[in-house]
Amino acid sequence: MPPRLRLQSKQLRLAATTTRAPQYVCWQCRHASTAAASTTTPAPPIDHMTHAPRPISHYPPTQPPSYKPPEFRKSQLHRQYQSVLRSSPLMLLFQHNNIKATEWTGIRRELANALKKADEELARSGDETMVGSSSKLQIVQTGIFASALKVVEFWEPKYLDQPPVNEPTDPKVSSSTPIHDTQPTNRDPSLTHGLSKNAYLAARNAKLQHGLEPLLSGPMAILTLPTVSPAHVKAALSILSPSKEIPAPKRRTTPSYHDPTVQTGLKKLMFLGARVEGKVFDMDGAKWVGSIEGGLTGLRAQLVGMLQGIGSGLTNTLESAGKSLYLTVEGRRGMLEDEQKEGKSEGQ
Amino acid sequence: MLTKYLTSVATAFSPFNPKSGKTARNFLALLPPNARTTMAIDVKLLNQAQKDKPASLDLKFKDGKEMKLDLEKMKIKDIQAEVNRHSRTLLRQEELNG
Repeated sequence: MPPRLRLQSKQLRLAATTTRAPQYVCWQCRHASTAAASTTTPAPPIDHMTHAPRPISHYPPTQPPSYKPPEFRKSQLHRQYQSVLRSSPLMLLFQHNNIKATEWTGIRRELANALKKADEELARSGDETMVGSSSKLQIVQTGIFASALKVVEFWEPKYLDQPPVNEPTDPKVSSSTPIHDTQPTNRDPSLTHGLSKNAYLAARNAKLQHGLEPLLSGPMAILTLPTVSPAHVKAALSILSPSKEIPAPKRRTTPSYHDPTVQTGLKKLMFLGARVEGKVFDMDGAKWVGSIEGGLTGLRAQLVGMLQGIGSGLTNTLESAGKSLYLTVEGRRGMLEDEQKEGKSEGQ
Repeated sequence: MLTKYLTSVATAFSPFNPKSGKTARNFLALLPPNARTTMAIDVKLLNQAQKDKPASLDLKFKDGKEMKLDLEKMKIKDIQAEVNRHSRTLLRQEELNG
């Protein structure tokens, strides 16, 4: 049954603002005639019906305000490159000079095959991580990539002692926690993400150098690996940048690699350097990484062997010094004794 | 840049040199996709230790002119201008000869 007295919405709002006490709504009267009174949800207060309720948080916790507008492609690429840089300790950098799409397809196919082969070989020896399947050769926007690299290298967010209080974002939940003004401000110290203004300002410093600056110009492609796996580096380099130490696969074993499309594409792909766990390696350094036998365990074995060698060498050296001293002193004593004997024999 | 009249490009540089390395790489990026079928391209990459070694960029044109470009002083725009200047004369000759 509609209310007998028809009120204008303006009057209602006036009534809601003037009365300080919460407005009393007689639910019983309103729903007396409806049969399913228990199933209906209570209507929101009248001033919520006339105005939208004030949003409590102006941004969801997963989308804090960023320095550059987040809807721009460059912002999203920046975020993506930061994530790539953080998640891949091993990265090979290439320059691609006008490689055609068909050539890229061929190169990617050959690379995937080689990495799969390396994966299978490692799996046979018990390493079932399958690093090769999650590696990726991608073209990057050089300028945005350079900026993302600076943020990753030099932006160390100073986390607050107390994490910011989680604002109740759900208006239905009543809460007694004080609600701060959550208008997004760029300089808010609680914003620690890589797209924040703080990160931008930290990475803008031109004095900070990470060593890869000279490489970051021109058309760039990167090959990312999720772990430092020398076997995969070797497999990738044998395809993308074969050399004397890491030769290309033979025509007999992989005829598709010697396809003219792949070969013309590879000639236009220049291997520039690598970034391994934050350190810069040139071509020779990357080849050395690829030539480590047996990965990290192999390197540890080499180190142990070397240290053992040093140990035995050291004891030999120390011993020899003692021995030579002993010999010298002995010799001198013999000489002195001889002299004394001679002196005695002369005096007699 | 007019690359039609280039017959040979020989360059040696270290990509770790912020000046010559960048210029040489930019020059290589300007060559068309089918450059290797029309000209002989020889790229020698030096490593990080040799980054202070003087880089070289030698070009040869169809009329036999050889051009040795100084990568330390010239930027990519200057190189483009130099190459275009000679290529334009060749283009004009070709047009006049029909």
